[in-house]
Amino acid sequence: MKLYRKEGNILQILSFPGETAEKGDYLLVEDADAGRALIVQVIDVQFASIPGVLEELLRSLPDGGELIKGEDVDPLEIAPHISYIQDASLLICKIRATAENDGLNPSSSWLPSRSQSTIKKLPLPTLLKLAKIDGKLPIVIGGTKDSSLLTIDATSLDGRLNIITGKKETGKSHLSKLLMVNLVGYKATVVVFDLNGEYLSLGLTSDGKRNANFDKIHVLTPSQNFKLALKQLNLHVMLGILIHALHLPGTSAREFRRIWQALKERDSLTLHELGETIRNWNCNQHVRDALFSRYHSLVNSGVFTDNIAEATSLEEYLLKTREHGGAIIMNLRNTSSIDRQIVVEYILGKLVESLSSSQLKAIFLFAEEAHLYLRETYWDDIVTRMRHYGIFTTFITNQPDTIRENIYRQADNIFLFNFTNEHDLDVVSRAARVDAETVRSIARDLPPHHCLALGRVVRDFPIVVKVKAIDVKTMGETRLFFTSATNQ
Amino acid sequence: MDTTLPRQFIELSLHSLKNAPVQAFQLNQQIVQQFGSMDVHEQALRLRLEPLLLRPLREEKIVVAVDTSTIKIGETSTGIVIAVRGANVWKQNRRYRYMRFGPFIFHITEENKKQVYETLERTYFSSLHEHSHQGAPSLLQMPTRIASILERWLQTMAAKTMNNGLILFDGSLTAGTAETPTHRMKEILETARKRDSVVLAFSKMTNLRVNGHRITDLLPEHKPPYLLETEGLKLKPPMVLLGDVYVARLSKGNLAFRLDIDKEVSPETRIEAVEKLLGNDLFAESYPETLRLAHILCTFTANEVLAMQHFVTRRFGLQIINRPDMHRLLFGLFGKGESYS
Repeated sequence: MKLYRKEGNILQILSFPGETAEKGDYLLVEDADAGRALIVQVIDVQFASIPGVLEELLRSLPDGGELIKGEDVDPLEIAPHISYIQDASLLICKIRATAENDGLNPSSSWLPSRSQSTIKKLPLPTLLKLAKIDGKLPIVIGGTKDSSLLTIDATSLDGRLNIITGKKETGKSHLSKLLMVNLVGYKATVVVFDLNGEYLSLGLTSDGKRNANFDKIHVLTPSQNFKLALKQLNLHVMLGILIHALHLPGTSAREFRRIWQALKERDSLTLHELGETIRNWNCNQHVRDALFSRYHSLVNSGVFTDNIAEATSLEEYLLKTREHGGAIIMNLRNTSSIDRQIVVEYILGKLVESLSSSQLKAIFLFAEEAHLYLRETYWDDIVTRMRHYGIFTTFITNQPDTIRENIYRQADNIFLFNFTNEHDLDVVSRAARVDAETVRSIARDLPPHHCLALGRVVRDFPIVVKVKAIDVKTMGETRLFFTSATNQ
Repeated sequence: MDTTLPRQFIELSLHSLKNAPVQAFQLNQQIVQQFGSMDVHEQALRLRLEPLLLRPLREEKIVVAVDTSTIKIGETSTGIVIAVRGANVWKQNRRYRYMRFGPFIFHITEENKKQVYETLERTYFSSLHEHSHQGAPSLLQMPTRIASILERWLQTMAAKTMNNGLILFDGSLTAGTAETPTHRMKEILETARKRDSVVLAFSKMTNLRVNGHRITDLLPEHKPPYLLETEGLKLKPPMVLLGDVYVARLSKGNLAFRLDIDKEVSPETRIEAVEKLLGNDLFAESYPETLRLAHILCTFTANEVLAMQHFVTRRFGLQIINRPDMHRLLFGLFGKGESYS
């Protein structure tokens, strides 16, 4: 390999047949005289621009597109040398760091010698060691191309905003389950908004037996084992549900506040009493109608109950997970859009309440396709206010444009699975810890179950990893028509 | 097929490279290729502007074309490194086939040029031709001379192996030059005639002029294909013209070429040969496809030059380094690069 040119932090390296390097590989460009080396990552492999190649190709196809046949008497065997030159490739590499005095710095301000530098592949284990990608709380994400394991530190997820994205069926949920299980293993509290019921069996092995986490996984299904009594809610949370989930206008919200306070003073915060009070409340008819329609939405959701015995205490579940860790899976499968928003409003409000009163240290929130239930104002809330309370979110989506740009800009870690759509890649490349060229070039070619890890977890050295398998029962599979038809 | 000459090419090629000095200098990317020769001697030339109209004859004929190419790929402290390649292309049953010889790479020095040249001459042609008595060619003439030897050999092979065909040469049928001895060209034409083949030589460039105008520019307003006859062309001795010269405009487009046809062939047969060529080959801008392919196949691309430089570097340890371009060095942006033509 030979150093060809450098433009900004892009290095172009000429590579000859036999010197195989692929997208994602790391190379070490060592300048012995300077006593430093550049660590670069191959982000694209192109044909080297060899003069005369076009003529060479054209003359092999002169006969109306059909190959002209003939015999070459090539006594000096020049043909292999022609192929050798023709097959030379140009490696487009991104400079990631400079290795100097046993340390790494992100500088790319120096120029290694073009004639004297040696270029060799940098094995990932060596890179991981150099970059100190390990840690006290290891999470093995999977295997890299050269069969080494990529182990990240659980603390690099702590206090961070993470995004797992990629197109359908590339393995996003699988990775989020892996992270979740490991976090629970380190006694963390995890809350999951499970849109498709994919996480319900985290406590079971693939053959349906209980695994070590069985007792730590708590699945809550709205209107089944997750019901709320009005007394459990404070006014702030209830108003959040009415205004943001049920779009109650401001004037009506003010009336509701009075009604709520009146009921609370009478100690009769029940659904039944709420309905009666709205009916008899002295207010404008339009306001009454507005309040009534929301009241019926609450009743019809099935989430609220007047029976204290069947009401669920979220605090209790959270406290259960505090000592030994655990995951609360909010099963939002088969839940209507309005009901989902009601549940999410309640959970987030309650989490902030619990965290601000220091009942909990911090929680890891996993939100799948959050745009389907998260109200507009919560996006900013999650990355700013809620993070300070100790809610560390991981967004999981196959529609990257549904996550706001400012979320990408503030994301600390991105686990990127395959995308082929230019628009999707554009969106992801807005993340502050990612460079657009890397995202566009590498993500496009990722095979299923391979992800490009970016950000703090890999100390800003993007690494492609095949996510390891976990022994958890698969749920949330798509119900197919033809499979059922064949089985019958 | 007699392969004595190609074998000698290989032996001399390897021998010359093995004895090359350790260092070689690159030619500053100046690529000089040679394709045929140009004619410059004419007197009292006339062009008959009444066209001989042609109609394609579809009678099945084999068309074979011969061409060679040479290029200087580097310089050493004592000489030059050159490559030579030749190709025969033939069209039979509506398909093109080729046989390509080379590249043969030679390291030519003042010391070995005579030996290389004379050995090649003797190997195939048994005797040295008349010009050899004047001494070996200069170093700069060597690439074209060696290419000419290969070209004559390929032409002889084509003439000897084909019956009742059309043989296309690149260049003219002018003989008596250092590159084309008269008796050698005569032998080739005679061999072809004996086998009922006709030799047609197409020149891409000509300096033949009538009233100051190139003969290929004086085209009458007539629909092609047609030929224009020339008269009165005489060359200075010892050069002789072994063909009659025509201007050939064989297809649509504004181009026409000088076409030499063996003068020992009857005028009717000559016209018929061109008509058979029209019926058996493709034409673009009046140039036959078979000859075009022969040219394309033997031409060296920049990629091949790199590969050959790679070969001599790896196999024979020649280190190629850039020699400063004096024009660039002295005149900067105003220096247009060195010319070796």
